[in-house]
Amino acid sequence: MRVEPAPAPFWRHDLTHCLHTTAGALLAARGLDPLETLGAGWGFRFVPGEVRREEYYFPGHDEDLFAGLAPYHPVSSRWHRPADADQGWQQVRDALANGVSVAVAADNFHLPFRPAYRDVHTNHLMAIEGFDDETGEVFVNDPVPPSFRGTIPLTALMAARDSGNPIAHDRDLFFTANPIGNRWLEVTIGADVPEVDEAFVARVVGSNAAGWLDGTTGPVLTGLAGLRHFLDAAVEGFAEHPESVDEVFVVGGPMLAVAGLHADFLDRAGVRFGDVRLRELGRAVDRVAHHWSALRIAAATAREDRVAAVPGLRQRTAALLGDQEAVLQRMSLVAA
Amino acid sequence: MRKVRIDLSGFFTNRGLQPPGTTGDYGFNIWSNTFPAEELPPAGTVADVAGVPFSFPPDAATGDNIRCRGQVIALPAGDWDWIYLIGAAERRTEDQVELRYRDGSVRPAWLRMSDFWPETPVRFGEPLAFRTRSMRYPRHTHQNHAPALWQQRIGIAEPGNLSAVRLPDNPAMHVFALTLVADEEARCAR
Repeated sequence: MRVEPAPAPFWRHDLTHCLHTTAGALLAARGLDPLETLGAGWGFRFVPGEVRREEYYFPGHDEDLFAGLAPYHPVSSRWHRPADADQGWQQVRDALANGVSVAVAADNFHLPFRPAYRDVHTNHLMAIEGFDDETGEVFVNDPVPPSFRGTIPLTALMAARDSGNPIAHDRDLFFTANPIGNRWLEVTIGADVPEVDEAFVARVVGSNAAGWLDGTTGPVLTGLAGLRHFLDAAVEGFAEHPESVDEVFVVGGPMLAVAGLHADFLDRAGVRFGDVRLRELGRAVDRVAHHWSALRIAAATAREDRVAAVPGLRQRTAALLGDQEAVLQRMSLVAA
Repeated sequence: MRKVRIDLSGFFTNRGLQPPGTTGDYGFNIWSNTFPAEELPPAGTVADVAGVPFSFPPDAATGDNIRCRGQVIALPAGDWDWIYLIGAAERRTEDQVELRYRDGSVRPAWLRMSDFWPETPVRFGEPLAFRTRSMRYPRHTHQNHAPALWQQRIGIAEPGNLSAVRLPDNPAMHVFALTLVADEEARCAR
Protein backbone atom coordinates (compact mmCIF):
# COMPACT_ATOMS: atom_id res chain seq x y z
CA MET A 1 0.00 0.00 0.00
CA ARG A 2 1.14 3.52 -0.72
CA VAL A 3 -0.25 6.69 0.84
CA GLU A 4 1.08 9.92 -0.63
CA PRO A 5 0.81 13.31 1.05
CA ALA A 6 -1.65 15.76 -0.39
CA PRO A 7 -0.15 19.02 -1.62
CA ALA A 8 -0.07 21.49 1.24
CA PRO A 9 1.81 24.73 1.83
CA PHE A 10 5.13 24.48 3.63
CA TRP A 11 4.78 26.68 6.69
CA ARG A 12 7.12 27.96 9.36
CA HIS A 13 7.14 31.07 11.54
CA ASP A 14 10.62 32.28 12.38
CA LEU A 15 10.14 32.35 16.16
CA THR A 16 8.67 28.89 16.41
CA HIS A 17 10.21 25.47 16.66
CA CYS A 18 9.11 21.94 15.89
CA LEU A 19 5.89 21.98 17.92
CA HIS A 20 4.37 24.84 15.97
CA THR A 21 5.84 23.85 12.61
CA THR A 22 4.45 20.36 12.99
CA ALA A 23 1.11 21.74 14.08
CA GLY A 24 1.19 24.07 11.10
CA ALA A 25 1.85 21.17 8.74
CA LEU A 26 -1.01 19.10 10.13
CA LEU A 27 -3.46 22.01 10.25
CA ALA A 28 -2.59 23.22 6.76
CA ALA A 29 -3.13 19.71 5.42
CA ARG A 30 -6.66 19.85 6.84
CA GLY A 31 -7.37 23.27 5.35
CA LEU A 32 -6.71 25.52 8.35
CA ASP A 33 -4.48 28.57 8.13
CA PRO A 34 -1.56 27.98 10.54
CA LEU A 35 -1.04 31.61 11.53
CA GLU A 36 -4.72 32.28 12.10
CA THR A 37 -5.14 29.08 14.07
CA LEU A 38 -1.91 29.05 16.08
CA GLY A 39 -1.55 32.82 16.43
CA ALA A 40 -4.92 33.71 17.92
CA GLY A 41 -4.25 32.65 21.48
CA TRP A 42 -1.76 34.43 23.68
CA GLY A 43 -1.47 33.73 27.36
CA PHE A 44 0.50 32.01 30.07
CA ARG A 45 -0.30 28.76 31.84
CA PHE A 46 2.34 26.84 33.73
CA VAL A 47 2.14 23.90 36.09
CA PRO A 48 5.15 24.05 38.44
CA GLY A 49 7.29 20.96 38.20
CA GLU A 50 6.01 19.76 34.84
CA VAL A 51 8.80 21.06 32.58
CA ARG A 52 9.77 18.24 30.25
CA ARG A 53 12.88 17.74 28.17
CA GLU A 54 11.07 17.88 24.85
CA GLU A 55 11.49 20.32 21.99
CA TYR A 56 7.69 20.25 21.72
CA TYR A 57 6.98 21.04 25.36
CA PHE A 58 4.13 23.50 25.75
CA PRO A 59 3.58 24.79 29.27
CA GLY A 60 0.31 23.93 30.93
CA HIS A 61 -1.03 21.65 28.21
CA ASP A 62 0.54 18.25 28.63
CA GLU A 63 -2.10 15.88 27.35
CA ASP A 64 -3.92 18.09 24.85
CA LEU A 65 -1.15 20.04 23.19
CA PHE A 66 -3.21 21.28 20.27
CA ALA A 67 -5.97 22.66 22.46
CA GLY A 68 -3.28 24.76 24.09
CA LEU A 69 -1.88 25.86 20.77
CA ALA A 70 -5.22 26.80 19.25
CA PRO A 71 -7.60 27.79 22.05
CA TYR A 72 -10.07 29.55 19.72
CA HIS A 73 -10.40 26.69 17.26
CA PRO A 74 -12.03 23.26 17.58
CA VAL A 75 -8.65 21.56 17.60
CA SER A 76 -7.44 18.96 20.03
CA SER A 77 -4.86 16.22 20.22
CA ARG A 78 -4.23 13.03 22.10
CA TRP A 79 -0.96 11.30 22.81
CA HIS A 80 -0.70 7.62 21.95
CA ARG A 81 1.89 5.61 23.84
CA PRO A 82 2.44 2.31 22.03
CA ALA A 83 3.96 -0.65 23.79
CA ASP A 84 6.88 -0.94 21.37
CA ALA A 85 8.25 0.15 18.02
CA ASP A 86 6.21 -2.33 15.98
CA GLN A 87 2.95 -1.31 17.59
CA GLY A 88 4.04 2.30 17.26
CA TRP A 89 4.44 1.97 13.50
CA GLN A 90 1.25 -0.07 13.09
CA GLN A 91 -0.80 2.62 14.83
CA VAL A 92 0.72 5.40 12.74
CA ARG A 93 0.33 3.38 9.56
CA ASP A 94 -3.35 2.77 10.34
CA ALA A 95 -3.95 6.49 10.80
CA LEU A 96 -2.16 7.32 7.57
CA ALA A 97 -4.06 4.61 5.73
CA ASN A 98 -7.25 6.30 6.92
CA GLY A 99 -6.04 9.53 5.35
CA VAL A 100 -4.94 11.28 8.52
CA SER A 101 -1.44 12.67 8.92
CA VAL A 102 0.02 12.47 12.40
CA ALA A 103 2.80 13.93 14.51
CA VAL A 104 5.49 11.68 15.92
CA ALA A 105 8.14 12.26 18.53
CA ALA A 106 11.59 11.32 17.21
CA ASP A 107 15.25 11.50 18.15
CA ASN A 108 17.15 13.51 15.51
CA PHE A 109 20.17 11.28 16.07
CA HIS A 110 18.50 8.66 13.85
CA LEU A 111 17.03 10.97 11.18
CA PRO A 112 19.24 11.20 8.07
CA PHE A 113 18.03 14.67 7.06
CA ARG A 114 18.75 16.36 10.41
CA PRO A 115 22.16 17.92 11.09
CA ALA A 116 22.15 16.04 14.39
CA TYR A 117 22.18 12.71 12.53
CA ARG A 118 24.61 10.31 14.22
CA ASP A 119 25.77 13.22 16.38
CA VAL A 120 23.29 14.72 18.84
CA HIS A 121 20.33 13.23 20.64
CA THR A 122 17.20 15.30 21.11
CA ASN A 123 13.45 14.95 21.47
CA HIS A 124 11.93 16.34 18.29
CA LEU A 125 8.47 16.42 16.73
CA MET A 126 7.56 16.16 13.04
CA ALA A 127 4.68 15.29 10.78
CA ILE A 128 4.35 11.95 8.99
CA GLU A 129 2.24 12.27 5.86
CA GLY A 130 2.39 8.92 4.11
CA PHE A 131 4.18 5.65 3.51
CA ASP A 132 5.04 3.11 0.86
CA ASP A 133 5.01 -0.52 1.97
CA GLU A 134 6.81 -1.64 -1.16
CA THR A 135 9.82 0.67 -0.88
CA GLY A 136 9.82 0.67 2.93
CA GLU A 137 9.72 4.46 3.09
CA VAL A 138 7.71 7.07 4.95
CA PHE A 139 6.86 10.64 3.93
CA VAL A 140 8.10 13.23 6.42
CA ASN A 141 7.24 16.93 6.70
CA ASP A 142 9.68 18.83 8.92
CA PRO A 143 9.90 22.59 8.26
CA VAL A 144 12.54 23.20 10.96
CA PRO A 145 15.68 24.31 9.08
CA PRO A 146 17.17 22.56 7.24
CA SER A 147 13.61 22.00 6.14
CA PHE A 148 12.77 18.64 4.72
CA ARG A 149 9.77 17.21 2.97
CA GLY A 150 10.44 13.84 1.50
CA THR A 151 10.95 10.19 2.25
CA ILE A 152 13.17 8.40 4.72
CA PRO A 153 13.51 4.66 5.37
CA LEU A 154 10.90 3.30 7.74
CA THR A 155 13.75 1.68 9.67
CA ALA A 156 15.21 5.13 10.40
CA LEU A 157 11.87 6.46 11.57
CA MET A 158 11.33 3.46 13.81
CA ALA A 159 14.80 3.84 15.32
CA ALA A 160 14.19 7.54 15.93
CA ARG A 161 10.85 6.86 17.58
CA ASP A 162 12.16 4.03 19.71
CA SER A 163 15.28 5.87 20.86
CA GLY A 164 16.23 6.06 24.50
CA ASN A 165 17.45 9.61 23.74
CA PRO A 166 20.50 9.31 25.99
CA ILE A 167 22.95 12.01 26.96
CA ALA A 168 26.03 11.09 24.91
CA HIS A 169 28.13 14.25 25.14
CA ASP A 170 28.16 17.92 26.06
CA ARG A 171 26.12 19.06 23.08
CA ASP A 172 23.06 17.12 24.20
CA LEU A 173 21.69 20.04 26.10
CA PHE A 174 18.07 20.64 26.98
CA PHE A 175 16.05 17.87 25.35
CA THR A 176 17.83 14.61 26.12
CA ALA A 177 17.57 11.96 28.84
CA ASN A 178 13.92 11.51 28.01
CA PRO A 179 13.16 8.33 26.04
CA ILE A 180 11.03 8.96 22.96
CA GLY A 181 8.83 5.93 23.61
CA ASN A 182 7.26 5.76 20.12
CA ARG A 183 4.77 8.42 21.13
CA TRP A 184 2.57 9.94 18.46
CA LEU A 185 -0.14 12.56 18.36
CA GLU A 186 -3.59 12.12 16.95
CA VAL A 187 -5.07 15.47 16.01
CA THR A 188 -8.80 16.09 15.83
CA ILE A 189 -10.38 19.06 14.11
CA GLY A 190 -14.04 19.81 14.70
CA ALA A 191 -16.53 21.19 12.24
CA ASP A 192 -17.05 24.66 13.64
CA VAL A 193 -13.92 26.42 12.49
CA PRO A 194 -14.48 30.13 13.15
CA GLU A 195 -14.19 32.69 10.44
CA VAL A 196 -11.43 35.16 11.18
CA ASP A 197 -13.40 38.36 10.81
CA GLU A 198 -13.31 41.58 12.80
CA ALA A 199 -15.67 40.22 15.44
CA PHE A 200 -13.49 37.16 15.91
CA VAL A 201 -10.35 39.25 16.30
CA ALA A 202 -12.06 41.55 18.78
CA ARG A 203 -13.22 38.54 20.78
CA VAL A 204 -9.73 37.06 20.72
CA VAL A 205 -8.10 40.25 21.92
CA GLY A 206 -10.66 40.69 24.68
CA SER A 207 -10.42 37.10 25.82
CA ASN A 208 -6.63 37.07 25.74
CA ALA A 209 -6.56 40.29 27.75
CA ALA A 210 -8.94 38.80 30.30
CA GLY A 211 -6.75 35.72 30.57
CA TRP A 212 -3.70 37.83 31.27
CA LEU A 213 -5.50 40.01 33.79
CA ASP A 214 -7.25 37.16 35.63
CA GLY A 215 -4.03 35.46 36.55
CA THR A 216 -3.38 33.01 39.34
CA THR A 217 -0.24 32.27 41.33
CA GLY A 218 -1.06 28.75 42.45
CA PRO A 219 -1.25 25.88 42.18
CA VAL A 220 -1.29 26.53 38.41
CA LEU A 221 0.36 29.76 37.34
CA THR A 222 -1.69 31.70 34.81
CA GLY A 223 -1.87 35.16 33.31
CA LEU A 224 0.33 38.08 34.16
CA ALA A 225 0.32 37.30 37.88
CA GLY A 226 1.42 33.75 37.15
CA LEU A 227 4.09 34.85 34.69
CA ARG A 228 5.43 37.33 37.23
CA HIS A 229 5.48 34.61 39.86
CA PHE A 230 7.28 32.21 37.51
CA LEU A 231 9.91 34.74 36.46
CA ASP A 232 10.50 36.09 39.96
CA ALA A 233 10.93 32.59 41.34
CA ALA A 234 13.24 31.59 38.48
CA VAL A 235 15.48 34.60 38.94
CA GLU A 236 15.56 34.53 42.72
CA GLY A 237 16.38 30.82 42.69
CA PHE A 238 18.69 30.98 39.70
CA ALA A 239 21.96 31.05 41.60
CA GLU A 240 20.96 28.23 43.90
CA HIS A 241 19.18 25.87 41.52
CA PRO A 242 21.08 24.60 38.43
CA GLU A 243 17.83 23.35 36.90
CA SER A 244 16.67 26.96 36.59
CA VAL A 245 18.79 27.28 33.44
CA ASP A 246 16.85 24.57 31.67
CA GLU A 247 13.52 25.71 33.06
CA VAL A 248 13.81 29.29 31.83
CA PHE A 249 15.13 28.16 28.44
CA VAL A 250 12.59 25.42 27.88
CA VAL A 251 9.57 27.45 29.04
CA GLY A 252 10.88 30.50 27.20
CA GLY A 253 10.82 28.69 23.86
CA PRO A 254 7.06 28.35 23.52
CA MET A 255 6.52 31.74 25.15
CA LEU A 256 8.70 33.28 22.44
CA ALA A 257 6.89 31.34 19.74
CA VAL A 258 3.40 32.22 20.90
CA ALA A 259 4.20 35.91 21.30
CA GLY A 260 5.76 36.02 17.84
CA LEU A 261 2.81 34.22 16.27
CA HIS A 262 0.27 36.43 18.01
CA ALA A 263 2.14 39.56 16.92
CA ASP A 264 1.89 38.50 13.30
CA PHE A 265 -1.70 37.34 13.73
CA LEU A 266 -2.60 40.86 14.88
CA ASP A 267 -0.55 42.49 12.16
CA ARG A 268 -2.22 40.43 9.45
CA ALA A 269 -5.64 41.21 10.91
CA GLY A 270 -4.75 44.89 11.02
CA VAL A 271 -3.83 44.81 7.34
CA ARG A 272 -6.94 42.86 6.36
CA PHE A 273 -9.37 45.04 8.26
CA GLY A 274 -7.55 48.34 7.81
CA ASP A 275 -7.23 48.73 11.57
CA VAL A 276 -3.95 50.36 12.51
CA ARG A 277 -4.60 49.71 16.20
CA LEU A 278 -4.21 46.00 15.59
CA ARG A 279 -0.94 46.59 13.77
CA GLU A 280 0.32 48.78 16.62
CA LEU A 281 -0.73 46.15 19.09
CA GLY A 282 1.02 43.48 17.07
CA ARG A 283 4.24 45.47 17.11
CA ALA A 284 3.97 45.86 20.87
CA VAL A 285 3.49 42.10 21.27
CA ASP A 286 6.55 41.57 19.08
CA ARG A 287 8.56 43.62 21.57
CA VAL A 288 7.59 41.18 24.28
CA ALA A 289 8.70 38.33 22.01
CA HIS A 290 12.07 39.99 21.59
CA HIS A 291 12.51 40.05 25.37
CA TRP A 292 11.96 36.29 25.36
CA SER A 293 14.73 35.92 22.75
CA ALA A 294 17.08 37.75 25.07
CA LEU A 295 15.94 36.02 28.24
CA ARG A 296 16.32 32.50 26.85
CA ILE A 297 19.88 33.10 25.73
CA ALA A 298 20.75 34.96 28.92
CA ALA A 299 19.67 31.90 30.89
CA ALA A 300 21.24 29.36 28.55
CA THR A 301 24.63 31.09 28.63
CA ALA A 302 24.64 31.36 32.41
CA ARG A 303 25.24 27.71 33.19
CA GLU A 304 28.88 28.25 34.18
CA ASP A 305 28.29 31.27 36.41
CA ARG A 306 24.70 31.55 37.50
CA VAL A 307 25.43 34.03 40.28
CA ALA A 308 26.86 36.59 37.88
CA ALA A 309 23.83 36.25 35.62
CA VAL A 310 21.23 37.17 38.21
CA PRO A 311 21.35 40.99 37.95
CA GLY A 312 20.97 40.85 34.19
CA LEU A 313 18.15 38.34 34.41
CA ARG A 314 16.40 40.50 36.97
CA GLN A 315 16.66 43.52 34.70
CA ARG A 316 15.45 41.56 31.68
CA THR A 317 12.45 40.03 33.40
CA ALA A 318 11.46 43.43 34.80
CA ALA A 319 11.61 44.92 31.32
CA LEU A 320 9.64 42.00 29.88
CA LEU A 321 6.93 42.31 32.50
CA GLY A 322 6.82 46.07 32.06
CA ASP A 323 6.29 45.77 28.32
CA GLN A 324 3.79 42.96 28.90
CA GLU A 325 1.77 45.29 31.14
CA ALA A 326 1.93 48.04 28.54
CA VAL A 327 0.61 45.62 25.94
CA LEU A 328 -2.26 44.64 28.21
CA GLN A 329 -3.33 48.26 28.44
CA ARG A 330 -3.34 48.47 24.66
CA MET A 331 -5.28 45.21 24.42
CA SER A 332 -7.93 46.49 26.77
CA LEU A 333 -8.32 49.63 24.67
CA VAL A 334 -8.58 47.66 21.44
CA ALA A 335 -11.09 45.23 22.95
CA ALA A 336 -13.23 48.01 24.46
CA MET B 1 31.03 61.37 4.12
CA ARG B 2 33.49 60.25 6.79
CA LYS B 3 33.75 56.62 7.82
CA VAL B 4 35.84 55.35 10.69
CA ARG B 5 36.25 51.66 11.43
CA ILE B 6 36.42 50.87 15.14
CA ASP B 7 38.72 48.20 16.51
CA LEU B 8 36.54 45.88 18.59
CA SER B 9 39.18 43.23 19.23
CA GLY B 10 39.44 44.15 22.90
CA PHE B 11 35.76 43.38 23.38
CA PHE B 12 35.43 40.09 21.57
CA THR B 13 34.11 37.34 23.81
CA ASN B 14 32.76 34.76 21.40
CA ARG B 15 34.20 32.68 18.54
CA GLY B 16 31.71 32.39 15.73
CA LEU B 17 33.94 32.20 12.64
CA GLN B 18 35.60 28.82 12.38
CA PRO B 19 38.28 27.78 9.86
CA PRO B 20 37.98 24.30 8.38
CA GLY B 21 39.50 21.41 10.27
CA THR B 22 39.66 23.25 13.57
CA THR B 23 38.33 22.33 16.94
CA GLY B 24 38.37 24.19 20.20
CA ASP B 25 36.39 26.84 21.97
CA TYR B 26 34.24 27.80 19.01
CA GLY B 27 30.51 28.34 19.25
CA PHE B 28 28.53 31.28 17.90
CA ASN B 29 25.26 30.16 19.43
CA ILE B 30 24.39 28.11 22.47
CA TRP B 31 24.47 24.95 20.33
CA SER B 32 28.08 25.70 19.25
CA ASN B 33 27.24 26.27 15.60
CA THR B 34 29.67 28.51 13.71
CA PHE B 35 30.07 30.26 10.39
CA PRO B 36 32.65 28.65 8.06
CA ALA B 37 35.44 31.22 8.01
CA GLU B 38 36.61 30.21 4.54
CA GLU B 39 33.29 31.39 3.08
CA LEU B 40 33.65 34.87 4.58
CA PRO B 41 36.11 37.74 4.01
CA PRO B 42 39.63 36.90 5.16
CA ALA B 43 40.23 37.56 8.84
CA GLY B 44 41.57 41.01 9.58
CA THR B 45 40.72 42.53 6.19
CA VAL B 46 38.44 45.41 5.31
CA ALA B 47 35.09 44.26 3.99
CA ASP B 48 32.63 46.55 2.22
CA VAL B 49 28.96 45.98 2.96
CA ALA B 50 26.39 48.14 1.21
CA GLY B 51 28.91 50.94 0.82
CA VAL B 52 30.24 50.87 4.36
CA PRO B 53 33.72 49.52 5.12
CA PHE B 54 34.12 47.25 8.13
CA SER B 55 37.15 45.75 9.82
CA PHE B 56 36.40 42.08 9.50
CA PRO B 57 37.47 40.40 12.73
CA PRO B 58 40.86 38.74 13.02
CA ASP B 59 41.17 35.04 13.71
CA ALA B 60 42.06 35.23 17.38
CA ALA B 61 41.71 32.82 20.25
CA THR B 62 40.07 35.56 22.28
CA GLY B 63 37.17 35.77 19.86
CA ASP B 64 35.78 37.39 16.75
CA ASN B 65 32.52 38.89 17.95
CA ILE B 66 30.93 40.51 20.97
CA ARG B 67 28.14 38.68 22.69
CA CYS B 68 26.33 41.79 23.92
CA ARG B 69 26.43 42.16 27.68
CA GLY B 70 26.43 45.90 28.14
CA GLN B 71 29.98 46.55 26.93
CA VAL B 72 30.91 50.23 26.68
CA ILE B 73 32.85 50.96 23.48
CA ALA B 74 34.75 54.22 23.40
CA LEU B 75 34.35 56.16 20.18
CA PRO B 76 36.64 58.75 18.59
CA ALA B 77 35.54 62.36 18.84
CA GLY B 78 33.21 63.41 16.08
CA ASP B 79 29.73 64.49 15.21
CA TRP B 80 28.63 61.10 13.95
CA ASP B 81 25.33 60.39 12.26
CA TRP B 82 25.26 56.61 12.13
CA ILE B 83 26.71 53.62 13.89
CA TYR B 84 26.88 50.75 11.44
CA LEU B 85 27.31 47.18 12.64
CA ILE B 86 27.79 43.71 11.28
CA GLY B 87 25.77 41.46 13.53
CA ALA B 88 23.29 38.66 13.92
CA ALA B 89 21.13 37.33 16.71
CA GLU B 90 20.16 33.97 18.12
CA ARG B 91 16.49 34.50 17.25
CA ARG B 92 15.64 38.04 16.23
CA THR B 93 15.56 40.60 18.99
CA GLU B 94 15.65 44.31 19.70
CA ASP B 95 17.06 46.39 22.48
CA GLN B 96 18.30 49.83 23.30
CA VAL B 97 21.89 50.94 23.11
CA GLU B 98 23.03 53.85 25.22
CA LEU B 99 24.67 56.73 23.35
CA ARG B 100 27.07 58.59 25.60
CA TYR B 101 28.10 62.14 24.76
CA ARG B 102 31.21 64.02 25.81
CA ASP B 103 29.14 66.54 27.74
CA GLY B 104 27.98 63.69 29.96
CA SER B 105 24.52 63.30 28.53
CA VAL B 106 23.10 59.92 27.62
CA ARG B 107 20.50 59.05 24.98
CA PRO B 108 18.92 55.69 24.14
CA ALA B 109 18.65 54.40 20.60
CA TRP B 110 17.21 51.18 19.19
CA LEU B 111 19.25 48.33 17.86
CA ARG B 112 17.28 45.70 16.00
CA MET B 113 18.96 42.52 14.89
CA SER B 114 17.69 39.70 12.69
CA ASP B 115 18.31 36.01 13.22
CA PHE B 116 21.41 34.26 11.87
CA TRP B 117 19.62 30.92 11.50
CA PRO B 118 19.35 29.44 7.99
CA GLU B 119 16.06 29.79 6.11
CA THR B 120 15.07 32.68 8.35
CA PRO B 121 14.14 35.95 6.64
CA VAL B 122 15.42 39.34 7.67
CA ARG B 123 12.97 40.95 10.08
CA PHE B 124 14.15 44.53 10.44
CA GLY B 125 15.07 45.36 6.87
CA GLU B 126 18.81 45.10 7.36
CA PRO B 127 20.92 44.55 4.25
CA LEU B 128 22.40 41.08 4.04
CA ALA B 129 26.07 41.35 4.87
CA PHE B 130 27.12 37.75 4.28
CA ARG B 131 25.47 34.39 3.86
CA THR B 132 27.57 31.27 3.86
CA ARG B 133 26.56 28.12 2.01
CA SER B 134 27.15 25.85 4.97
CA MET B 135 27.11 25.92 8.75
CA ARG B 136 29.50 24.24 11.14
CA TYR B 137 28.51 21.86 13.90
CA PRO B 138 31.02 20.64 16.47
CA ARG B 139 31.69 17.44 14.56
CA HIS B 140 30.74 18.23 10.98
CA THR B 141 29.94 20.95 8.49
CA HIS B 142 26.39 20.85 7.19
CA GLN B 143 26.17 21.78 3.52
CA ASN B 144 23.30 23.77 2.02
CA HIS B 145 22.44 25.12 5.44
CA ALA B 146 23.11 28.81 5.09
CA PRO B 147 23.35 31.18 8.08
CA ALA B 148 23.48 34.95 7.68
CA LEU B 149 25.15 38.05 9.03
CA TRP B 150 23.29 41.33 8.65
CA GLN B 151 24.22 45.01 8.54
CA GLN B 152 22.51 47.04 11.24
CA ARG B 153 22.60 50.80 11.67
CA ILE B 154 21.79 52.98 14.62
CA GLY B 155 20.79 56.54 13.92
CA ILE B 156 22.27 59.31 16.04
CA ALA B 157 19.10 61.36 16.13
CA GLU B 158 20.48 64.03 18.46
CA PRO B 159 23.65 65.55 17.04
CA GLY B 160 26.56 65.92 19.40
CA ASN B 161 29.99 64.74 20.19
CA LEU B 162 29.70 61.07 21.05
CA SER B 163 32.16 59.53 23.46
CA ALA B 164 30.93 55.95 23.65
CA VAL B 165 28.17 53.51 22.91
CA ARG B 166 26.97 51.01 25.48
CA LEU B 167 25.71 47.83 23.88
CA PRO B 168 22.56 46.21 25.28
CA ASP B 169 22.77 43.54 27.93
CA ASN B 170 21.24 41.12 25.48
CA PRO B 171 23.43 38.06 24.91
CA ALA B 172 21.27 36.92 22.01
CA MET B 173 22.90 39.76 20.03
CA HIS B 174 26.33 39.37 18.45
CA VAL B 175 28.42 42.20 16.96
CA PHE B 176 31.34 41.44 14.64
CA ALA B 177 32.27 44.91 13.39
CA LEU B 178 31.41 48.57 13.94
CA THR B 179 31.93 51.60 11.72
CA LEU B 180 31.02 55.22 12.43
CA VAL B 181 29.67 57.37 9.63
CA ALA B 182 29.32 61.12 9.49
CA ASP B 183 27.13 62.21 6.60
CA GLU B 184 27.51 65.98 6.54
CA GLU B 185 25.73 66.33 3.24
CA ALA B 186 22.60 64.56 4.42
CA ARG B 187 22.74 66.51 7.67
CA CYS B 188 22.70 69.81 5.80
CA ALA B 189 19.55 68.69 4.06
CA ARG B 190 17.63 68.48 7.32
